[in-house]
Amino acid sequence: MKAEVVVVGAGVTGVLTSATLFEKGIHDIVLVEKNYPGSGGSFRCATGIRASFTSREHIEVMKRAIELWPAISAKYGIKYSRDGYLWILTRERDVEFFKEVVEFQNSRGVPTRMMGPSQVQELVPTMRTDKIIAAVHDPMAGKASCFEAVLNPLAVLRKQGITILSNTQAYKLIVENNVIKGVLTSKGIIHADQVLVAAGGESRDLLKTIGIDLPIRNIPKHVMVSETFKPIIKPLMIDWTTSSYILQLLHGNFYIGADIPEKHDVEASNRLEFLRRAARVWSTYFPWLREVYILRYWTGYYDMTPDHHPIIGPIKEVEELYVAAGFSGHGFMMAPAVAEALAEYMTGGKPVVREFENLNYERFVKGEVIKEIAVFG
Amino acid sequence: MTQQDPRKIIVCRCENVTLEQVLRAIEEGFDSLELLKRKLRVGMGPCQGTACLLMIARILMQKTGKSFEEVFLPVNRPPIHPVKLKNFIGGSREG
Repeated sequence: MKAEVVVVGAGVTGVLTSATLFEKGIHDIVLVEKNYPGSGGSFRCATGIRASFTSREHIEVMKRAIELWPAISAKYGIKYSRDGYLWILTRERDVEFFKEVVEFQNSRGVPTRMMGPSQVQELVPTMRTDKIIAAVHDPMAGKASCFEAVLNPLAVLRKQGITILSNTQAYKLIVENNVIKGVLTSKGIIHADQVLVAAGGESRDLLKTIGIDLPIRNIPKHVMVSETFKPIIKPLMIDWTTSSYILQLLHGNFYIGADIPEKHDVEASNRLEFLRRAARVWSTYFPWLREVYILRYWTGYYDMTPDHHPIIGPIKEVEELYVAAGFSGHGFMMAPAVAEALAEYMTGGKPVVREFENLNYERFVKGEVIKEIAVFG
Repeated sequence: MTQQDPRKIIVCRCENVTLEQVLRAIEEGFDSLELLKRKLRVGMGPCQGTACLLMIARILMQKTGKSFEEVFLPVNRPPIHPVKLKNFIGGSREG
């Protein structure tokens, strides 16, 4: 088999990048997916989209993504809504910290603001706010349907004649004289002029086959989801004290996540500790949640890098090899901007958003990691 | 099965999905249970697929010629049957 471009990983990044490449005239694309499209982080994620971060890189990249989300939403029929994010603070010491964060974000054009419990009450009428001392609101943040964001562009790609190989494992990259030549897969060798690896934490395994060590480690994450209701909770809410969050998906289900102690690179497994923590935190804020039925509990991974920022762009050591991985929990929200940047790289250009260039793999080789005013979310 | 109007046959009762929608999605290339679940939300409501997934597996077999083993690979996620959130809170002893 032969193609102009092979994309390893049919998650939101691989699919949207393929769609953008197609628009730029590259029509001979093969998408390789070890399971089914979206089966990794894309279909497990919370679907939140925000630019309220604490590094220049994250903010600028996400601002571009937020500009692009309405366009891809209209183009592919992906539900997307700017319902906001709300960080809930219950400790005095966090308020000073968040004031600094808000100041930094405002200075870069992200319209976050501090608010008191009564304003929280207005935004989320069914919430108990007596334990809240302050909150931070990001009105530009939002959420989208993760299923539609992968499957709808994929259906278009399929009609356009792109080859999508599901249940196909990529074993090894093939490189000759420092130029990428293709990928060895469970369905044979696919020769290619360009290869993009967008396979989450498993990108590391694939790059290892050519001696490149991406510093990505998987950390297990836990989520439960309820039955569906009409819209009741508008913003995605994060309880800063317990690192847990709740949102109402656009389909109507409540989606609840909570951090429990976890080790890197271990198999994710279901834990009662998660259920207890998540249930306690959110039934205190929303007593009516006690009567809500939980339908499913699943796990997934954040593919973490040492500076919690992704690795995006060309790998200098191998011509025409590109990577987009290590999103550290923020891949879905930035995907439209990442797709745009990768398509620019892969057609001989440079990303419009300059900060993408700081997200190269070389930063780890040189020890020049991304700086944040604080690690946050 | 094809005697009646497929637009009037409800396959997934939780999410109100018709046979017509299932057949059309398969034709569009959503030819596995995992993809049909995310495309149409079949099997993702309160019954967790106990009412519909076997039926949809049969439709998939008929439409694609695949074997039962090829089409029916469901992931069962706890709690299997819906459980109220309050049951996860636990006793006060644990603080």
